[in-house]
Order: sequence, then C-alpha cells, then structure tokens
Amino acid sequence: MSDWLGRAVSRAEQVSDWLSPQRQASLALLREAQWPTRKTEAWKYTPVHVLADAEFAAAANSELAAAEAIEGLNSIELVFTDGVLQSELSQLPEGLTIVPLADASSETRQWAAEAFSAAKPSKHLFGLVNDVLATAGVIIDVAEGVSIEPVIRIVHRIGKDCEAHNRVLVRIAKNASVTVVEDFSGEEKSFNTGYAEYTLAESASLEHYRFALQTGAALSVGGSHFNLADKAQLNSTLVGFGSELSRLDVDVNHTGEHAFAKLNAIYLLDGNELFDLHSTIEHMVPNGTTEENVRGIVADHSRAVFNGRIHIHRDAQKTLAELNNRNLLMSRDAEINTKPELEIYADDVRCAHGATIAEIDKGALYYLRSRGVSKAQAQIMLSFGFINELVDQMPNQVLAEWLRPQLRQRFANMEVK
Amino acid sequence: MLSIKNLQASVEEKEILKGLDLEVKPGEVHAIMGPNGAGKSTMGYVMSGREGYEVNEGSVTLDGVDLLGLEAEERARAGLFLAFQYPVEIPGVSNLEFMKAAVDAQREAKGEEAVSSKDFLKMAREACKQVHLPAEFLKRGVNEGFSGGEKKRNEIMQMLLLKPKLCILDESDSGLDIDALQVVAEGVNSQRSPDRSFIVVTHYQRLLDYIKPDFVHVLSDGKIVKSGDASLALELEEQGYNWLTEQREQSA
Amino acid sequence: MTEQINQAINREYEAGFVSDIESETFEPGLDEDVIRRISTMKNEPEWMLEWRLKAFALWQKMEEPEWAHVHYPEINFQDISYYSAPKSMADKPKSLDEVDPELLATYDKLGIPLLEQQMLAGVAVDAVFDSVSVVTTFREKLAESGVIFCPISEAIQEYPELVKKYLGSVVPQRDNYYAALNCAVFTDGSFVYIPKGVRCPMELSTYFRINEMNTGQFERTLIIADEGSHVSYLEGCTAPQRDENQLHAAVVELVALDNAEIKYSTVQNWYPGDENGKGGIYNFVTKRAVCHTSAKVSWTQVETGSAVTWKYPSCILRGDNSIGEFYSVALTRGMQQADTGTKMIHMGKNTKSTIISKGISAGRSNNSYRGLVRMGPRADGARNFTQCDSLLIGGQCGAHTFPYVESKNPSAIVEHEATTSKVSDDQMFLCQQRGLDPEKAVSMIVNGFCKEVFKELPMEFAVEAGKLLEISLEGSVG
Repeated sequence: MSDWLGRAVSRAEQVSDWLSPQRQASLALLREAQWPTRKTEAWKYTPVHVLADAEFAAAANSELAAAEAIEGLNSIELVFTDGVLQSELSQLPEGLTIVPLADASSETRQWAAEAFSAAKPSKHLFGLVNDVLATAGVIIDVAEGVSIEPVIRIVHRIGKDCEAHNRVLVRIAKNASVTVVEDFSGEEKSFNTGYAEYTLAESASLEHYRFALQTGAALSVGGSHFNLADKAQLNSTLVGFGSELSRLDVDVNHTGEHAFAKLNAIYLLDGNELFDLHSTIEHMVPNGTTEENVRGIVADHSRAVFNGRIHIHRDAQKTLAELNNRNLLMSRDAEINTKPELEIYADDVRCAHGATIAEIDKGALYYLRSRGVSKAQAQIMLSFGFINELVDQMPNQVLAEWLRPQLRQRFANMEVK
Repeated sequence: MLSIKNLQASVEEKEILKGLDLEVKPGEVHAIMGPNGAGKSTMGYVMSGREGYEVNEGSVTLDGVDLLGLEAEERARAGLFLAFQYPVEIPGVSNLEFMKAAVDAQREAKGEEAVSSKDFLKMAREACKQVHLPAEFLKRGVNEGFSGGEKKRNEIMQMLLLKPKLCILDESDSGLDIDALQVVAEGVNSQRSPDRSFIVVTHYQRLLDYIKPDFVHVLSDGKIVKSGDASLALELEEQGYNWLTEQREQSA
Repeated sequence: MTEQINQAINREYEAGFVSDIESETFEPGLDEDVIRRISTMKNEPEWMLEWRLKAFALWQKMEEPEWAHVHYPEINFQDISYYSAPKSMADKPKSLDEVDPELLATYDKLGIPLLEQQMLAGVAVDAVFDSVSVVTTFREKLAESGVIFCPISEAIQEYPELVKKYLGSVVPQRDNYYAALNCAVFTDGSFVYIPKGVRCPMELSTYFRINEMNTGQFERTLIIADEGSHVSYLEGCTAPQRDENQLHAAVVELVALDNAEIKYSTVQNWYPGDENGKGGIYNFVTKRAVCHTSAKVSWTQVETGSAVTWKYPSCILRGDNSIGEFYSVALTRGMQQADTGTKMIHMGKNTKSTIISKGISAGRSNNSYRGLVRMGPRADGARNFTQCDSLLIGGQCGAHTFPYVESKNPSAIVEHEATTSKVSDDQMFLCQQRGLDPEKAVSMIVNGFCKEVFKELPMEFAVEAGKLLEISLEGSVG
C-alpha cells in the first residue's frame, strides 16, 4: 500500500453519511486492494507511481476564476471547485431535480443508494477510492416522459495542490431525455477522481459528453458508466487530453433489450502526456447494439493506452457490436498501446473490432500538396480532419464549435515531424 | 510554356517513361492518348511530384522554372494543376477548408493578400455552380462519399478556383455519363485562354468531341510515338492502338 | 439446426489406443536427483546437466502464469513421471530391424509408416515415443546435402558446439514457467541444421506420441537454418485416450540466419478429453523463432486436440527486411480450451508480419486468440496485418480475441481486424437443398472458413488437416 493510499484509507474511515453502508463495503475491498504495478493487467501500460507518495490538501477551497460559459449554449451550469458545488440550484425546468449528494431527501436516498456503484463495477482501486471518499457530488433525476431542453453542464475545477473526489448520479426515467456534459479542465498539480453513473430506464435517451481536458500536472482518474434498460438510447462523445496521469473508464451495460449505444472517443496528446482509456461494453441481454469509434493522435513524447472490451454474455443473442480504434503516431518518441478485446459466449451475433496504428495517409498528403498546400499545413489539416470526423458527429454542434478551436490550438502547438 | 525533354522515370524500379518529349505553348490544348499501361497517368504524377516516382533522366520546365527540383506544393504554386483520375477521399477535412488553404497558400506564394472568408465562400459557391455541384458539397469532407462524376466535377471546381497556368486532366472522362462529361468539358472550355494550356490525358476519343485539342499525341511504352492534329484521335478511335504498336515492331 | 451441428462435432478420437510396450519409467516426482538421472540416461556432458540444474533453480522461483483464458485444476508436478522409454530402446537399436515391432506397429496404426520403402518419398521422420526418439529416417540421404536431422539427445553429444551456441538463444531458460520446466527436464526432440545455401531436399517431420500413463512429455526442438538455406518442417502429435490429464510442455526454437527460410507446420491432435472434459492433454508450449536479415519464418498450425492449449508460436524480427507469418486454425469442441496466438516483435527496418487466425468453437469449449504485435523504435517502415476470425457453432461455446498492439515507430503500420460469425441457417439450407447432408455441409463451410490457412500447409498435410477437421466435426451438426 502506498503512502497516498494509506492516507486515503484513514480519511475514509472518518466519512459518515447516508451512503455509509455502500462506502463500508468498498472500504473493505480497498483495504485488500493491491497498488497497481506493470503486472496488473488494467494498469499494464499506465504507471501510477506519480501518485504513490504524493500529498495533496484534502479539503482546500481554491480561489479559481469563474468557469467560462460556452457561447450560445443553453445550459444549466453545475460548477464544482475542489469537489464542492458552487452553483445555486434554482428555477430548474419542470421534471428535473438536481440536489447535492449531501442534501438528498429520504426518497432520493432510497433509489440513489441502490444506484450507487450499480453501473460502476468498482473494479479498480480508484473506483473504490471514489466510493469511499466522494462525499461531494450531485444527484440528477429526470422525470418520466420529460425532455430537458437545456444542457446540464457539470464543470469540475481543481485548484493547485488539491485533491477532490466527486460522484454524479443520474437517473433518467422512462421516455425521458437529457443532455449531460462532464467538463474537466486545469493543469495545476492536483489529483481528482470523478465518476458519473447513469441509469437509463426504458426508452430513455441520453446525450452525453465527457471532456477530459486536464493537462500538465493535473492527475486524474475517473469514469462514466451507463446502465441501459429496454430501448434506451445513449450517444456519448468523449474527448481526452493527457496529463502526467489521466485515466478514464467508460462502461456500458446493456441490461435491457434493444438498447442502442453509440460511443465516440477522441484523444489528442502532446508533450509528455499520458492518456489511458478503458472501455467495457457488457451485452447481457439479446438484441443490443453498440457502435464504438475511438481515434487518437499521439505526438511528441506522449503515450496513449486504449483497452476496448466487448463482452457478449451467453444470453445476448442477436447483438450487434462494433469497435474501431484508429491511431496516428506522430513522433519517434511517442507510443501507442492498444488492445481491442472480444469475449463472446453467444453464437448468433455480429461482432467485429479493428485497430490501426499508422502515419498520415500518403495519398491524401500528396493530394493536398498537389493543390499548393504546404506539407506541414497538409499534415495538420489531415490529422485534424482525422479527429474532426468524430467532432462532426456530435449531436450538439454548439459544443462542437466550442471544442474545435481548443483542438486546433493543440495542433498549432504540436510539432509535426 | 511547358517543355518536357527526354523524361525518363520509374516506379518501384520499373521503368515507365522512357524518354518523353513534349512542348506546349500558351493557350494550346494537347491530348495524350494511348493504350493502358503506356505511362499516361505516370506522366501526370511525375510532373506533379508524387512520392515514389523516380526521375532518372530529362527535364520538365514550366515558364522556365525547373519543376523537377520542386516539392509537390511548389509545383502547384508555380501554376501546375493535375485533375486526378481517382481523387482521394479525405473525411473530416471539408472541401471549403481545403480549397481556402490551397488558394491562400498560392496567393501567399505570389505575394498576394489572402481572400477574406466571406469573399472566398462567394467564389467557391460560384465555382460549384459552374460545375453543377450543390453548394453543400463545400461543407462535406473532400470527395467523401462523392459519386465518380461528382469527384471529377469537384476536381474541375478546384481548377476554377486555383486558376493554374497548365492543367493536366488525367482521364477526367472515365466513368462519366454523357451529361457529366459535358459539365466537365464546359468547365474546361470556360477556362481556355491565351495564357492557359491543357494536357488532356484520355483513353477514348469521346472527350475530345467536347474539348477540341490543337494537337494529339500517342503515348506508347513510355514515349510519344506519333503526333498529329485532332484527326489522329478519330483515326485511333477507328483502328485502335494495335496498328501503332505493330508499326513500331515492324520498323524495329 | 444447431442441435444437428453439435452432433456432427462430437466424434471419436481415432488415435486413442494404448500400445502394449514394456517401458522403463521413473517414479513420479521432481527434484535435482531426477534431473541428474535424466541427464545420465541421456549420457549427457557435464555442461548440459549444469544448464538443466540452473533452469530448475529458476523454475522453482517462478509462478505459474494465470493470465490465459483457461481454467484447470492445479497441476501437482510431483505426481508426474519425467522419464519413460520403451525397454527395448535401452541398448539403442542400430537400425530399424532392431526396433521393437510393437513400436513400429504403433506408428503404422497412426498412419506414419517408419520403413523407408513404405514412406512418403519426400518426407523424413523423427519418431519420438514418450521420452525417446525411436528412429529417424532418411538420415543418410539428408547427410548427402549436409543436412543434420537427428534426435536432440544425440546432437548434444555429436554437435555440442551448435547446441551450446543456439540452445536457449531464442527461448531463454527464464522465459516463462513451462519453458523453464522444459529446460530442466526435456528428454528428447528433434535437431535440425541446414547448411549455408542448402535447400533441404525433403520435408522434415517429427511425430510425437505419448503412450505411458502419468508421464509428461517435455520435448525440445531446435532448428537452425544457416544463411540462405531453406527448410520445411512438420510436426504431428497424438496420445492415448485416458481419464487423467497429462502434461506436454515443449519448447521449439527456430534460428533463421540471414536470407534463410523456415516453414514450420503443426498438426496438433493430442487427446482432447471426453465430451465432459475428463482427461486430455495439457498442451503448454513455447515456440519462438528469431529472424535475421531478410530471413523468413512461417508458422502454420492446425490445432484440433488437447484439453487445454497454451501456445503462441512467435517471431522476433531482428534483422532488417525479415518476415514473420502465423497461420492458424484452432478448433475446440466438447470442453476443450484453447488460448493460442502469436507474438510478432518487429525490431528491424522494413520487417513484415502477417497473422491469419481462424478459431472455430463448438460444444461447450472456449477458444481464444491472444496476440502481440510490437513495433520497436527502430522498426522503420515495418508493417503488420492481422486478421482474426471466429466461427461459433452452437450457443454454449465461447470465442475470444485479445490482441495487444504496441507501437513506438511513426512510420510503422499496424492493422488488426477481428470478426465473428456463425454457420448460418441460410448456408446450411443452401447446402442441404443441393443434396449435402448436414455433416458434410458443416465441414464444407468450416473448410472454406479455414482455406486461407490450409493453403499454407505442405500439400500432403493440407489434405490430412482437412480430413482431421472433417473427423473432428463428425456428429457435431444439428
């Protein structure tokens, strides 16, 4: 057990709230947990030693400038600073309830305690850490049949030398629909775990974005987890920049039939950044569909890790599941490790995965140059185009417009060799 | 304007061009015809600087500028345009963004100011209209999901925007129905001027009904084996290419 | 339909008989003394014994790997006998005439006649029975071209310099748990040396047979193809039908020097256990090749046997322009478990690798492809293409794909694709409508699915492999 983990455990022992039964169970597991090493399959390519003896202030309240609004976005903003909710929650649309974790009514507590860690399988150390330490967070409840117009944007900002643990629980009732943005940014030395769990009831629909844009010394481990009931629809876009440690787990559980999940993910890495994306798709019942597209550009001395698992359970006949991971490796000092996995126990299914690592397509490069565009600019255009294909697919183009300049900025700084 | 002298080139160590000579004066239209595998496409690729095409011998100059010493983009900026037989699809990069970058780069090379986005959009829309492409094609990825005919028209659209000195049309007629063929030809004809020249590479005479050449050359086994006026194309249409190769074998 | 397909897959294991041969067999158990006794039985020089003991010391500190997608009860290594040889082999028969007829009959029965006049003219065979090589045919003929083909126990004595130089050079003693064990206790196997510039005039092959109860077979094969040489090698294996599990932990090392080419084909048909998973061979094998400049190694395997398979024939593409290939058909049925694939380690410039893996799962079996493609920092212009296809027959089996792809070179290109499908009702109906019975239909569909791999096998064995699949699928169609 590392120093950091030892301190985390002793802090967790002090935590007492309405989630204590759930937290105690995880704490017991955490005490038994092994600190990840290269031999730990889930952390094979992602060392966590930067965290091992790091010390952070647990409950600081940093003075951070107000989060910038996104131009043209109709949104409900939930701003967390160092894990603490700063926003006033008033005048919410009808059918939408948002309460801080600590203020949950007894009725909310009942379902929320059940949903806590139900979608997130708590399978690794930091998931357990979040279970026991995430006292800050928010519960979002969308009532049956309601379509929430404004986008719910959850902004997480962590100040220098701070540590924060945050949990978001979202319940979307039958035939309801909502858009949720999880927005992480910052580059100062800090550590946070941020997990969100979404429970979609029958025919519910979720448009989801996770912008994991922390860079530099901002250490971050987190995940977004989804339980899909019958005919639920998920459309999720994930964008990641790397930092000294940046790890994300995305899990989709098809617990109901005829559910549809579309997952797009982009990572764009530069400098010494590390980004690790693990996704697990569980098809537990028949007739589910998953389309997953993951694209990455890895430059300079950065490293990308992708592990994409699709698990078709014995009963999940007639599943359609496809995963595609494409990477551009831009530098001799950069590294990509990818592992698409299929684990299939049902015969009448259509499953496929593909992974490629390559440089920029020579034919396309020549085409652009033959029109007078310089080689360097053509390389930038093509690599931007490579990920922009997925940005174009974002259902919310206001968010896409907000995102593109940030992505372009990365390319502008990127040294194309 | 264009002068090709004794051009010899190979691909993957296989010799394709074996001493090509061609002079093109301003305003002229030259047709290059020939059987499959004669080196017609190679000629365009070598001139425009595609990677993997090795020049072993000879020279290509455009208005006195030695093209072979330049990068692909520098050749384009010198006024060379190749309309591809199989234009590549580039999803994620919009047609408009691509053309704006190309036009800006070419203007910058000439020391001209960049066109404003608004003005450029206007120009681009006009160019689309001229080749009967709906304006929304500007927003789509370069050639992404375009039909064969749309790709060819998109090439001509790019030519209209870039206003090159010398255009090489590489089998711009292949795979086109008669309507699309006319659109391509109209685009080309509208650009004919005393200071712009064309090399029209084609396997069939059909395109030349619409784009009247001043000269017709037959390329066979990496060399020009016969040159003449437009009537040569008709002769080839009737008799095919075999008689030419036979003639050469006899003379050899 | 599925019912029919499954019936077609449950077949008899034809090689399941036991030969009545009097053997000298060590008591079960493993310690330094056992290793010393093996070494003495083999009349080995001191350096060989030391090498074994060093491996044993390493092995004792190692842990059994648990990452494979297979499950089996813990193996008690003290319950295994590490040496068994027919008594008749004790005084080393000089020629076939002196070999126990019962031994020859065993191979005849398996379809491998050892009398040269009866054999396929183009194939030389080394026949390994439990812990010893019974006979190696066509040795004189091969010697004419300078090709050495003999039991490895003999090579240790006759060609110590070659053995010392290359043994453990591809698969080091500490490589993995089973390889270390093999280094300590290996008994026999084949040794091949092809001199510079020689194209081996015949196919070489080794046929492994486990006969004795409670023994493990630990064979070791070393093939050295000197510069510019060429060899095609094939191995086959069978074992009696028994209720106990038996361990087979082999190591195969291939060295392809500059411009050499080795084609290594395996038709693996160890006893797979019965349909309820009782008995069968644990096939835990380490096979690896090192390719020097412009060398090429091609692994082709048809895996239909064994209760548990753990096997990853690999290529270290050390030299520039070297080529590695892996073609695999793995069929599992009953309760079989296979975790097999390859590693392609690209170190040199412009190295190329191709991986074609076809997994067929039936019954309640689990079939996994596990692979690694690694592009090293110096592997400029390297290329890999991987295609993994799984075919599921029936709803009780599993098909899995675990490919690791690692790249540190921006000019290297890696492409991996995997698909999964089933024998569709439409395909079956079409075949049946054209008059084929379900069994024939399935075997045709499966053969078509595997065609890309079969065409890589030497001609005689392609037919053999096709038949093997056919037999394997008999009765499995529903």
